[in-house]
Amino acid sequence: MPLPRRPGGTGGVTPRSRDELLSAADAVLTHATGDGAEATAVASELELTRYAASIIHQNVAETGLRLRARLIADNRVGVAEVRGEASGSAARVAAAAEDARRLSAREDVAPLPAPDGGDDAPVAFSEATAAASPEARADMVGAVTRLAAAQGLRAYGFVSTQTTGTALVNTRGLRRAATSTQASMVALVRGDNGSGYAARHSPDVESIDVEGLATEAVDTCMRNQNAHSVEPGRFEVVLSPYAVADLLGHLSWVGFSALAKQEQRSFMRLGEKLMSDTVTIADDCREPQLFPYPFDDEGVSTRVVNLVDRGVCESFVYDTPTALRDGVESTGHSLPQPNTWGPFPRHMHMAGGDRTVDELVGAVKRGLYITRFWYVRDVHPLRTIITGMTRDGTFLIEDGKLSAPVNDLRFTQSIVDALADVRGVSRDRLLELEEGETGVLSPWLHLGHFAFTS
Amino acid sequence: MIARTVQHLVVKNGVVATVSLSEDEGIGVRVIASGAWGFAATDRLDPQGVEDAARRAVRIARASARVNPQPVKLAPLAGATGEYRTPIVRDPFAVSLDDKVDVLLRADAGMARVSGVTVRESSLEFVREERFFASSEGSRVAQTIIESGGGMDVMATSDNEVQTRSFPNSFGRHQLCAGWEAIEAFDLPGNAERLGNEAVALLTAERCPAGVMTVILDGTQAALQVHESCGHPTELDRVLGSEAAFAGMSFLTPELLGSFRYGSEMVTMTADATRETGLGTFGWDDEGVPAQRTVLVDQGLFTGYMSSRETAAVLGQESNGTMRGDGWSRLPIIRMTNVNLEPGTSSLEQMIATTEHGVYLETNRSWSIDDVRLNFQFGTQNAWEIVNGERTRLVRNALYSGRTPEFWRSCDAVAGPSEWRMWGVVNCGKGQPTQLMHVGHGAAPCRFRDVRVEPAG
Repeated sequence: MPLPRRPGGTGGVTPRSRDELLSAADAVLTHATGDGAEATAVASELELTRYAASIIHQNVAETGLRLRARLIADNRVGVAEVRGEASGSAARVAAAAEDARRLSAREDVAPLPAPDGGDDAPVAFSEATAAASPEARADMVGAVTRLAAAQGLRAYGFVSTQTTGTALVNTRGLRRAATSTQASMVALVRGDNGSGYAARHSPDVESIDVEGLATEAVDTCMRNQNAHSVEPGRFEVVLSPYAVADLLGHLSWVGFSALAKQEQRSFMRLGEKLMSDTVTIADDCREPQLFPYPFDDEGVSTRVVNLVDRGVCESFVYDTPTALRDGVESTGHSLPQPNTWGPFPRHMHMAGGDRTVDELVGAVKRGLYITRFWYVRDVHPLRTIITGMTRDGTFLIEDGKLSAPVNDLRFTQSIVDALADVRGVSRDRLLELEEGETGVLSPWLHLGHFAFTS
Repeated sequence: MIARTVQHLVVKNGVVATVSLSEDEGIGVRVIASGAWGFAATDRLDPQGVEDAARRAVRIARASARVNPQPVKLAPLAGATGEYRTPIVRDPFAVSLDDKVDVLLRADAGMARVSGVTVRESSLEFVREERFFASSEGSRVAQTIIESGGGMDVMATSDNEVQTRSFPNSFGRHQLCAGWEAIEAFDLPGNAERLGNEAVALLTAERCPAGVMTVILDGTQAALQVHESCGHPTELDRVLGSEAAFAGMSFLTPELLGSFRYGSEMVTMTADATRETGLGTFGWDDEGVPAQRTVLVDQGLFTGYMSSRETAAVLGQESNGTMRGDGWSRLPIIRMTNVNLEPGTSSLEQMIATTEHGVYLETNRSWSIDDVRLNFQFGTQNAWEIVNGERTRLVRNALYSGRTPEFWRSCDAVAGPSEWRMWGVVNCGKGQPTQLMHVGHGAAPCRFRDVRVEPAG
């Protein structure tokens, strides 16, 4: 589908059409020699307006074209990448990849994938996001800062719009191309003695409810003033989706990849029930509430993978090298090849339940409501133990109601252990970006225990 | 304008997993228009492409001005002209790929000799950046920055444990502004078999004891402690709120400058962009401010920040040159240069000999700190229990935690110059869009009293 030109223009660069992207990738292939070659062309346009203390303090735009070549011949692989629009880039990247290939050692090389007949759709794309202007982003920021100022508060955060066009071709006839958009807005509102956070993400910038976002951050901030300390220990908790996204992101990094399984470092034991019945986690590249995208970084069509089904470890995600080792097919979750990290899910969602958020909170006699986690790191990956801090809105729950704000706490907790004690799952879900900046769609969760250590 | 060339090689489990070359060239234009900032970057270096980027930056700045009530103010700066090149002995890009792959294969072979090792990975990375900065205030500077880095990670697994040992530093590699001579000095092949043995030994080591005790950090862990608990909270843009929605703020607020006791008298920390081989060493920062040295903590007293022209103006100071952008496409922001714990007068041997009970911790495994840089928890790969002045048994999964000023006030010994080394951190994240910066930390082993220690899991 040809992309429309942006009305009015932004002073930037129109996203390249499908044909132009494929042509850029083809140009690399024409310079490639040997048994097999893969070429990728990525045209990206990113604009981000950042604000602090209710002032736009950083406002940026970047545009660029990246060409990548992977050459295979004589069981040797070489990779090169060039970013820049100088003439001769296609020839240069092919030559650099050949230099790398010639000097690498012989090894068993996974073959390039063949076309699998998949469509280059659905793709998360919005014309409004592609055409978004710096004035429109500034006005979105202004709306947040005005709402905050009305309560005597200051606002921090960013709004971004991004358009990425990708074409991937190889010498086995594979030809894939897609252009996607992503819009994000974050608001952190601060008073003299506390803060509140909210975030919204969508392919379509016009669907971002700026007033709703600002109201959520302001409300949390107003309730989060003058927090007091509580003694650390084990608490029942209700986690917002901003926090749940971090748990799922870390589970993914340590255990959902077939490479983690093959290297004996995954917590997943297929067929074994490790978590509560209400825990179902899948990777679905077609889920409309995420950022749908049809193929991976090898050009293999991405399949729906059920990772955890009603608490039972169900499947891993695969790329071509890991699939060959296990004698299965790739699930289309590859990062650029070759790599040493393995495949990863990039469209994760956790199934919703049947409760409202008020019902989840109402079921807690004494516990904590957590808005957000911060600086989460893996402490013991095999046991899925993570540590991190709470942030921007941590509240006591007493007799089924949110009560006083509490000072932020450090937790050290096994994710699987926590998800084995799920007491309730909300019907509603929210999209948040986990630390690797991929979207995760999560419900609110009521967990029976969570360990806070300081 | 920046042209960056990166060469990256990885050998994993005996196989050359990656030989990659990348080139990246473009220009970033930063403007103040209508009293506000705008920035636009492009990889189109033809005259029209550059002009388009400049016009776009101006339009973006004027859009910012729709919200901002006050104009940007900058500390004054005289225009600078000149050239800088990283001092090196041997150009790493002139060394053949064959020789580089040979180093990695020999390292891999060393790790492979150890029974029980399940995954072995070794890598090298070389970076060359040609940086050209010009400003309407008369600056014209050209710099060539060269980096060389490498490392090994080896993993051993059992039914209920996964243990990793890394050398020279964790998470892939150690890196310096230096030439091939740095890689030769690392001696990856010479340390490979030892590393594999240590990973396997950790599988059956006893769990780290729990309690409040003395902790001695090796240089690599001390470097990361400095990074998280001094480097970040002394970034003046964080202090003033620029990163509040993301990387956080700082407990080192301006009224504490000059009066707050950050650490013991053993603790002096500096930000020094002139220190040899550091990843934060250059001629001028990305505003054209000359590289310089600033004392951040002087014998325990908090005395300085890392600043930019805009943030320095808030305090009535001049910038001390710490604005750095991750390539041409990213806006320069305040980043660490080389944030160092200056050497003391002790030694590792002396510290161990005068410790009744504690642990000696080597090589980072996990790290986490709160959003104002107070509450931290770190884990290390190796830990040795010390009893009555002797290093005794190896223990696993060590964690230590605390609060930044209490921790640094408990520092009672820092090893001397002969044990002080410059370390490189290649994955410091900050800013939106996210930027990764290479920063340096000089550090030596150091000792802390009454620290909470426990095992993970």
